[in-house]
Amino acid sequence: MSAISELSTVHRVKAKTPEEKRLRAKEAARDNKAGYLFLLPWLIGLVLIVAGPLIASLYLSFTNYSLIQAPQWVGLENYARMLGDGRLHQSLKVTFIYVIVGVPLQLIVALAIAMLLNEGMKGLAFYRSVFYLPSMLGASVAIALIWRQMFESDGLVNQVLRLFGIPATTSWIAVPEYALWTIILLHIWTFGSPMVIFLAGLRQIPGMYYEAASVDGASHWAQFRKITLPLLSPIIFFNLVLQIINAFQAFTQAFVVSNGTGGPADSTLFYTLYLYQRGFGQFQMGYAAAMAWLLVVIIAAFTAINFFFSKYWVFYGD
Amino acid sequence: MALNRRQFLIGASGLAAAATTMGLSACAPGAPSGGSQGGGEQGGKTNLALAWWGNPTRNKNTEAEIQAFQQANPNITLAGQPGEFGSYWDKLATQTAGGQAPDIIQMDMAYIAEYGNRGALLDLAKNGADTSKFIEGTVDSGKINDQLVGVNAGINSAVIVANPKVFEKAKMDLPDDKTWTWDQLSQVAAEVASKAGVPFGLVGNFFSADPMFGAYLRQNGKELFTEKDVGFEPADAQAWFDLMMKFQKAKAIGTPQQISEEGSTGAGKPIDQAAVVLGKAALQYYNSNQLEALNAASGESLKLLRAPSLAGKATERKAWYKASMLWSASAKTKNPEAAVAWINWFANTKEAADIDKAERGIPPNAEIQSYIRPKLTPAQQEVAKFIADIKPELATTPIAPPPGGGKLAEIMFRYETEVLFGRATTADAAKKFVAEVKSNLTV
Repeated sequence: MSAISELSTVHRVKAKTPEEKRLRAKEAARDNKAGYLFLLPWLIGLVLIVAGPLIASLYLSFTNYSLIQAPQWVGLENYARMLGDGRLHQSLKVTFIYVIVGVPLQLIVALAIAMLLNEGMKGLAFYRSVFYLPSMLGASVAIALIWRQMFESDGLVNQVLRLFGIPATTSWIAVPEYALWTIILLHIWTFGSPMVIFLAGLRQIPGMYYEAASVDGASHWAQFRKITLPLLSPIIFFNLVLQIINAFQAFTQAFVVSNGTGGPADSTLFYTLYLYQRGFGQFQMGYAAAMAWLLVVIIAAFTAINFFFSKYWVFYGD
Repeated sequence: MALNRRQFLIGASGLAAAATTMGLSACAPGAPSGGSQGGGEQGGKTNLALAWWGNPTRNKNTEAEIQAFQQANPNITLAGQPGEFGSYWDKLATQTAGGQAPDIIQMDMAYIAEYGNRGALLDLAKNGADTSKFIEGTVDSGKINDQLVGVNAGINSAVIVANPKVFEKAKMDLPDDKTWTWDQLSQVAAEVASKAGVPFGLVGNFFSADPMFGAYLRQNGKELFTEKDVGFEPADAQAWFDLMMKFQKAKAIGTPQQISEEGSTGAGKPIDQAAVVLGKAALQYYNSNQLEALNAASGESLKLLRAPSLAGKATERKAWYKASMLWSASAKTKNPEAAVAWINWFANTKEAADIDKAERGIPPNAEIQSYIRPKLTPAQQEVAKFIADIKPELATTPIAPPPGGGKLAEIMFRYETEVLFGRATTADAAKKFVAEVKSNLTV
């Protein structure tokens, strides 16, 4: 039914005689060589640009490295220091709120808009592009700057509120209690890419299911719950995993909105922003590398939990 | 498509080598090929890389200075690497880590110990830097562990900039900055704010300015930093936070929201959006060499005022000449002589002063200072007069922050925000503030 369900069935044709087996092995080896050759550009990139630095950062996480002097081995000291680092805990808190609140809200909005667009309206391509646009711009510096100005005390948001007679003077980005929510709002606004994926998934649900349900007298809500959600669940799962991984790594918005400080009073101190401050602001690259590896573990754990629970709610249809 | 292992390996290593070279050269945008960072020598000619941060005026000036210097020293060519202050430090750290630091580096007081203490900077005095005509106290700012690793490129002083239009609107005279105390500053700021109907008498980020905290500490017999430690106690920080709350309750520095929105002095709004420029504030903390940019942004002629004193006597306010920036050289430069030649040329020749005037601050060389003064713009002349006037008020020059101490202002502002929003008491915030600054020091 969907691309994902097809992938889940792996086809294997078994060789029958020993002669055939050898022939196949030879053929496979030749194919493999060509395959590796075509893979080479990517492989070099992986080794030099990804794997090399990755291993280097794992090494650096066990050192005291100021960027200027050679790294000194300190064992697990960086990891031990994390336990007592109050700002690290604050940055974890901020990032968890962002992920746990922002991602589901964004997916709900994305699904809602995708269902609207799936009604087959005129000018669909245009609307789809318009709704997709924010997700291309959302992580950009320009949008974050505009966001900052919109939520200032004399910003657009308060001006609109004043039009409705609300005497709004709050500077949403300057009060520790509100600042994070403006960034979560920015995250929700960039619902474009999950929306496009939802739209593709909705297109794959055969219309006859809905027709049959209508004939049986099912309401729209019942149709949504009993047909759309189960059949869309692999897509929801895919979006959820991807968006959680992305959200944990959010950086640009927080950096620009708070001018790189994570302020006011560390209320928008995202994990990656703190990592950046440690590494490049305070020349503690070893500690920053250790933080990066903690983030890897956290993201891996979230993904594993997601996969574990997926068997209870994701329906692959075959 | 047969490919044996050897062929494969040769091909792969060739590609890998090519990729590495491309990667390395990509690390130094703006630098010409040929490894100028290392100070290559070709046919008797020395190539040096010169990095600075700045603004459009400074970029134009520096390019002109490079031309003039090259004419005077035909054997040296300089490749400029202009940058923005924010990204400059990330880039410099990465370049230094890769052994590719520029030969000549425009340095800031907040970072000089970071590099100097780790052996990344050249001892300039040993390599012939000439600071013999510098005014007293202007050489020491560049000394780390008794080595001269930075030569003052221009003198600065922390000031309070006043907008006369706002005082006019309040029908008030400018205060007498030679006799005012901290309490009088609060009274003046509160009065002008209410009479002129502006959000700030004094912009609240005054209390996040480390030179102002430094002045307050020095008047109390303390310092921001000693050579290897923080120079004050939690009680001193608490007194400073209490003073801020006193100002805030007197309605002298705006509401907590307004202060937070304005941002700290380091990561606050750019000059063209500054409250004192927009007429939303009567007084704001700045450095003296920023007056010209402030005037240009506001279209007014703003005035420079001294920081207050405890005693009500300017001569007891323990002022100092700050290096607005310094010239340093990489310890790894292949041609220390040529690097120092630029620094000497910049500091001690009329030619250089003719181009730079006072854009990087007032020249610390006494002869150059008096030579250039008549040639300055009106705003720069005012700055030069101010710098000369405060000479009797100078005390010792504070040492550069030890490694890891460069972020004091940012940390201080964070704890002040906690206090302003009632999320922490001044005592609690002060204790945590001192602990955090201490834990960041890496000496």
